[in-house]
Amino acid sequence: MRERPLATTSIRRRLLVFLVGALLLMGVVAGGVTYWVALRSANDAYDRSLLDPALDIADYIRIDSTGAHLDLPQKALEVLVYDHADTVIYQVRSDNGVIINGDADLPPAPEMGLDEHQFFDGSSRGQRIRLIAYRAPNGYVVQVGETLNKRDRTARELLLAALVPTLLFAAASIGLAWLGVARGLRPLAHMRTELLGRSPRDLRPIAEASAPIEIAPVVDAFNELLRQLQASSTMQQRFLADAAHQLRTPLAGLQMHLELMMRRDLAPDVRSEVQRMHGATIRASRLANQLLALAKAESVADQGKRMEEVDLMTIAGNAAQAWSAMAIERHIDLGFALAPAPVLGDPSLLTELLDNLIDNALRYTPAEGAVTVGTGVRNGKPMLTVEDTGPGIAAPERAKVFERFYRIAGTKGDGSGLGLAIVKEIVDRHKGFVAIDSCEGQGARICVSFPGVA
Amino acid sequence: MSVTLLPHMRMLVVEDDRLLADGLVTLLSRAGHAVDHAATGKYADSLLTRTAYDLLVLDVGLPDIDGFEVLRRLRLRRSPTSVLVLTARDAVDDRVHGLDLGADDYLTKPFSVTEFEARVRALLRRNLPLGTTLSIAGLSIDQSAKRVRIHDKPVDLTPREWALLELFVTRPGRVLSKEQIAESLLNVDGELSPNAIEVHVSRLRAKIEPAGVRIRTVRGFGYLWEGADE
Repeated sequence: MRERPLATTSIRRRLLVFLVGALLLMGVVAGGVTYWVALRSANDAYDRSLLDPALDIADYIRIDSTGAHLDLPQKALEVLVYDHADTVIYQVRSDNGVIINGDADLPPAPEMGLDEHQFFDGSSRGQRIRLIAYRAPNGYVVQVGETLNKRDRTARELLLAALVPTLLFAAASIGLAWLGVARGLRPLAHMRTELLGRSPRDLRPIAEASAPIEIAPVVDAFNELLRQLQASSTMQQRFLADAAHQLRTPLAGLQMHLELMMRRDLAPDVRSEVQRMHGATIRASRLANQLLALAKAESVADQGKRMEEVDLMTIAGNAAQAWSAMAIERHIDLGFALAPAPVLGDPSLLTELLDNLIDNALRYTPAEGAVTVGTGVRNGKPMLTVEDTGPGIAAPERAKVFERFYRIAGTKGDGSGLGLAIVKEIVDRHKGFVAIDSCEGQGARICVSFPGVA
Repeated sequence: MSVTLLPHMRMLVVEDDRLLADGLVTLLSRAGHAVDHAATGKYADSLLTRTAYDLLVLDVGLPDIDGFEVLRRLRLRRSPTSVLVLTARDAVDDRVHGLDLGADDYLTKPFSVTEFEARVRALLRRNLPLGTTLSIAGLSIDQSAKRVRIHDKPVDLTPREWALLELFVTRPGRVLSKEQIAESLLNVDGELSPNAIEVHVSRLRAKIEPAGVRIRTVRGFGYLWEGADE
């Protein structure tokens, strides 16, 4: 495995070592046995072809008054023992060791009964030879021997004939074992690809049907873990909803009473105190909202389920509803340049995203400035842009502004430093991309692009 | 306060948080309405079965049965009461659910007093009996006669301008997109291009803004009536 070079338990390697080893061993044994059997029958055939001339020669032994002699013309003898490849030698010997014909330099024949024959190995004039000894009924021993040229050649041919298929078999079996193992492990590879391709919030169980029986228990255990995670994230989700209610309701009460109080006749110092409390209450509400939004955006719950086709144009239209009054109050010209931009997303998170961008822009844009929200599709990608005429964001700050609680030093405004962190979180969750174009002093343009809806 | 233009409405505030409930009751009572309060869903439900309220201000998160259930039962009884839902949860989800169940409007906590008043005003205006005369700042609108006066001087409006004014007046504090306006004016006569709407709005503006009301332009989107805001 590339990622873990020290891994000691690779199923693939174990299977391959065993399978290839076993197949090679079987190939070698099969090849060896084939070779051995073939060589034996070849040698038997050659041996038998030695027996015939020995028997023939024995037939022509004549014993008369002059003693024993071979009743064969030399020519005929030569034909009898002729071989195209090997030198054939022979010997006829009496029972008591007197050579009556043939070559003298032959190894001694083994002991045999009458009319029996035996094959054996020996040597003559420094050459290895194969011999037959036949003891005729009359007690004479005929030996015929030949050099091993054709036997050696046959052995070589047989070896080649056994070796080539064995090698082919080995190569094929290694290849097939490799393929087989890869095939067998394919469900694991699929599972790995599927898991790697998931977003960290995707807690759907792994399809058990696709898992081979052997790893089904692992898949089961893993799915159980996923189920527990899912359950705890559902609880977390419920907690967030409750927390939202518990936090926002008292803040709403506080804000309402402070506003009612501000409608009464108040001494100037009291009025200013109440106004400061009111401001703090609004900031606390906003911070509570942002913390909840952040928690919600990064919560693992029901990822995928909530993604639906939404038009950024609709989201921006709702934002027009929500923010126009505040923009007018701050004397900022909040405008829209909207074209359809369908995305796959979570409408409440996308609303949160845009709210934070607009809130930020309104916060940092001085009175009489302008903020423009744009939606549309560029290069096949749905886009959302928020442009302002505020102080802009200097290049070195642009990456940092997406960090939580990061606030650019020396800026006005009472932001929490969470707005853009929320934006980043939500953009990431939608597999989008956020960029800041800004010339310092000439406003900022934050552009969010999303993957196109397939 | 301009809520006073509709005195003696019967209202029910359903909210379990004492502080917020007190504020809401105080605000609405000071405006001259008869306001009851319920801190639980069940009590609210029983009050609603006995009394015909003009307006129900309903919190979603209640200790026993939640606001949506109270709303569902109310609509099951075919009650015409206007309902303003207060929600502290996920605004989008609650809004959709609430409107599905028959809420007339919703407000996300926390909200400003001004915002709350604007919503209440709009809801009450929508339910006004025909023939009621509305007065907003220096403007007085006689709905049955379709006549408008500024500081008692009559103003002539074309049917389209009248329709526009009616649309704005019933939705104070709301941004109306040009598409929404075009859709609403469809029955007056024919289809209107965005440019035509701009022309009509600017004519209406010229006629009524002397009364101290304002129609704001939301660039590239639509218009916002700032009518009766202080």
